[in-house]
Amino acid sequence: MLVSSAVVVSVGLLLGAIGLGAFIWAFWVGAFESLDEQARCILDERDLRMRRPWETPGQARERRRLYGGPLEPGPGEWGGALGRGGR
Amino acid sequence: MTAPAASTDVVTLRDLDEPGRVPALVAFVSAVAWLLVGSLLGLVASLKFNFPDWWTGWAPATFGRVRAAHLNAMIYGWASLAMLGISVWLVPRLVHAPLRWPRVATGGIVFWNGAILVGVLALLAGWTDGLEWLEFPRSVVDPMLIVAGGMVGVTLLGTVLGGRARHLYVSVWYVAAAFVWFPIIFVTGNLPVFRGVESAAVNWFYAHNALGFWLTAIGLGAVYYFIPKVLGRPIYSYQLSLLGFWTLAFFYALNGMHHLIGGPLPTWMITTSIVASVLMVIPVAAVAVNHHMSMVGRFASLRYSPTLRFVVLGAVAYTAVSLQGIFTAFREVNRITHFTHWTIAHSHVGVYAFVTFVMFGSVYYVIPRLVGRDWPDGRLIAWHFWLALGGIGAFVLALNLGGVLQGLALMDPQVPFQASVEAAAPWLAVRSLAGVVLTAAHLVFAWHLWKVLRRAPTVGPLPPWHDPRPVVVPPPGPWS
Repeated sequence: MLVSSAVVVSVGLLLGAIGLGAFIWAFWVGAFESLDEQARCILDERDLRMRRPWETPGQARERRRLYGGPLEPGPGEWGGALGRGGR
Repeated sequence: MTAPAASTDVVTLRDLDEPGRVPALVAFVSAVAWLLVGSLLGLVASLKFNFPDWWTGWAPATFGRVRAAHLNAMIYGWASLAMLGISVWLVPRLVHAPLRWPRVATGGIVFWNGAILVGVLALLAGWTDGLEWLEFPRSVVDPMLIVAGGMVGVTLLGTVLGGRARHLYVSVWYVAAAFVWFPIIFVTGNLPVFRGVESAAVNWFYAHNALGFWLTAIGLGAVYYFIPKVLGRPIYSYQLSLLGFWTLAFFYALNGMHHLIGGPLPTWMITTSIVASVLMVIPVAAVAVNHHMSMVGRFASLRYSPTLRFVVLGAVAYTAVSLQGIFTAFREVNRITHFTHWTIAHSHVGVYAFVTFVMFGSVYYVIPRLVGRDWPDGRLIAWHFWLALGGIGAFVLALNLGGVLQGLALMDPQVPFQASVEAAAPWLAVRSLAGVVLTAAHLVFAWHLWKVLRRAPTVGPLPPWHDPRPVVVPPPGPWS
């Protein structure tokens, strides 16, 4: 049992150490600052301005207010042709 | 393809996508091929429970070989290749840098396919290491997988390190971490020094971490990208997303021993694993709350977006399988469910309802952006979705119920063993029917992929989502 315990524990500790090292490094380089900006970094102007057909009138108004006049989505914009007849 | 400039500059999404296009397409197409192979192998294995005397005269078609070939074709063939495809497409977009050394990535993906082919043939020929999730012969196939995965991993980590985004989005954390974690656990699991119960302990250390540190990591990375991207709004709480990632990183590693409850292992080892399993409630709750709150008020989007339809259900399945896993880790529950079909249902919630659904949704989003044209037939997507959902729903329900009945029968000393087999039999028939439905879903998916790939290139303006949209590239980040 000694060998497997040693391996499992040491590799578990290694994984933990890697995680801890990465965490400290991330903290050091400021990866936990500007979280709101980080959350938005995957969205570009088109993502934000595009009209979403599922949004309520209130949600659509809020989108227009925040990001300006809406852009129309293209066919298959949401990852497939479902809007063209498939349900 | 125009290489992006070295300082603050504007590149386009197409610039970022282009180098990863070939490796991503090779990964997706081969993944779907393995999905079909794995489905057929799984169906044959399932039918052998219903018709034990069927196809027994040919050794490669016997249950022990077919079942192992099914599992490995699905884990390393379908799921891993789809995840490699998502990774090489997603990471460049997130770090605002084109994929480094794309030919190395393509070579790695091709070599990975070669390894899976050799491995599946070896398993069917009866050459196996006999360890759960590690059946591939370690002397031939596993070194090939290490080299192939390393080739892809080097390109991805190189891309991250050379990235120019101001922030590392949480999906990058998940994907990059997966490519650090997986080689460590894979090499550890394959060390040829363990015997007997030692081997079992290390085996489950690997197998459970392969789910948590490989499949889950990249699956959640994709979920955290596609939900906000399609909804056009940030994730509900970025703080929770980071909490989920870091607690997964710190708590997951020792979960696997709960598969050996009741086995001849030190009590501290099992108890530590149960504690680690319970601690998983933190990342699971963080992820579940975050995804749910991001969707609140926008569930109607599931009618419009195939990507969200698959990805959101996959995210729900992540919560379900994690809570089920925590529940099953308790000794009182485990003594009933252990050695029953419950475990098979549980693993399918994880690998299929969670990971596979997320990969389906991702493929529906990514493929049009790789080939410059939309999927041709919305009805095929709808068929794929409902067949997959119906199939996995019936599968899980049947095996969970059948597993509990089987476990209760096994626990009762007054009940003969044969009764436990008979208790599970009707549910195994449902499982095979569900397998037929799932295979049909995969055939529809593969046919649709074939249709979109063989269509003539778009003439005239490209779809708006394929236009070269500008991406402002800031000065190098602190990790560059």
